[in-house]
Amino acid sequence: MASFSSGFCCAITGASNGSNSRWSMASLRSALPPSVPLRPPPSSRFPRMAAAFQPKPKLALRSYTGLAPLQSLPFPIASPEFSSFSHCFKIIDNGGRVFAMRHGRRVPKLNRPPDQRRALLRSLTTQLLKHGRIKTTRARASAMRKYVDKMITLAKDGSLHKRRQALGFIYEKQIVHALFAEVPDRYGERNGGYTRIIRTLPRRGDNAPMAYIELV
Amino acid sequence: MSRFMEPLIVGRVVGEVVDIFTPSLRMNVIYNSRKEVANGHELMPSVIISKPRVEIGGEDMRTAYTLIMTDPDAPSPSDPYLREHLHWMVTDIPGTTDASFGKETVGYETPKPVVGIHRYVFLLFKQSGRQTVRTPATRDHFNTRRFSEENGLGLPVAAVYFNSQRETASRRR
Repeated sequence: MASFSSGFCCAITGASNGSNSRWSMASLRSALPPSVPLRPPPSSRFPRMAAAFQPKPKLALRSYTGLAPLQSLPFPIASPEFSSFSHCFKIIDNGGRVFAMRHGRRVPKLNRPPDQRRALLRSLTTQLLKHGRIKTTRARASAMRKYVDKMITLAKDGSLHKRRQALGFIYEKQIVHALFAEVPDRYGERNGGYTRIIRTLPRRGDNAPMAYIELV
Repeated sequence: MSRFMEPLIVGRVVGEVVDIFTPSLRMNVIYNSRKEVANGHELMPSVIISKPRVEIGGEDMRTAYTLIMTDPDAPSPSDPYLREHLHWMVTDIPGTTDASFGKETVGYETPKPVVGIHRYVFLLFKQSGRQTVRTPATRDHFNTRRFSEENGLGLPVAAVYFNSQRETASRRR
């Protein structure tokens, strides 16, 4: 409790010079806006790693721990190593029009006109089929899944027509021939879901959330 | 304990390299005395040239541990026909010390990821006695499960992995 009150005091320095020197939980909670239930502080195992990468947000988290709702103690499913760097706050990058739902959104636009979008997805699937695992932004990785699965389904069919359709989408023909040769062994029993996405640290230059996408 | 296992399961280390286990020991792998290896993070090839410092926990110095570093995505994650490639093996590490106190049966080989993004896995096994672990003949086609069965190592006590890819001119990070 002592560390909580000292952290809170330094958060509002100068705002009001404390007519009441005693703080009570009820008055503090009512004074603040409803706080986002922040993730509980990392255990002693992780602060070394967190300090090496992002010292500033850790201090901000410390001062709010006393106000986090107590029932958030069961740890969230996502592991701290990944979720410690993907923050809970909404990222506003579309001119302020941010909604919590996805109503009616069918196609991920990826901030590009349609021809560039198609070219981007083609090149990403080509690279994934060539390298097996690539690192890209989360939006691109989740937009790519549909096309990678489509290519693997074409390869599972294996006929000449499907091969020519694949050649029309993937940029390199070696990859198409290699794909048609190995897919029946590798994905013969699996029905769909041929990729896996693993979220990771944001990119340093623009803090874009990144992810690895790999062929299962 | 499942908090420590989640990234290993998601990154398929648990499925492809070892079976599911309960981590019972603390293990820290630190490159160049600054970069600690954390599950799923990416390290540049320039950082991992020389061998890291591996500190292990435990209670006493009489139990011996074996450290194995493998690459399950050799030569390329899309076609890993050389799975796995052994990079480093140190046996007879006394508890609560670090890997320099053990016997390096397979010398540290600098990882050179040519195609794709490779995972490099560090595994720590508890030995039943001293000098019971046999050195494998080749580095390629290493199978961790078979190796631990042959040498009576059982399930690992700690594991951590990181990613690495080839550093091209355009990748400034």
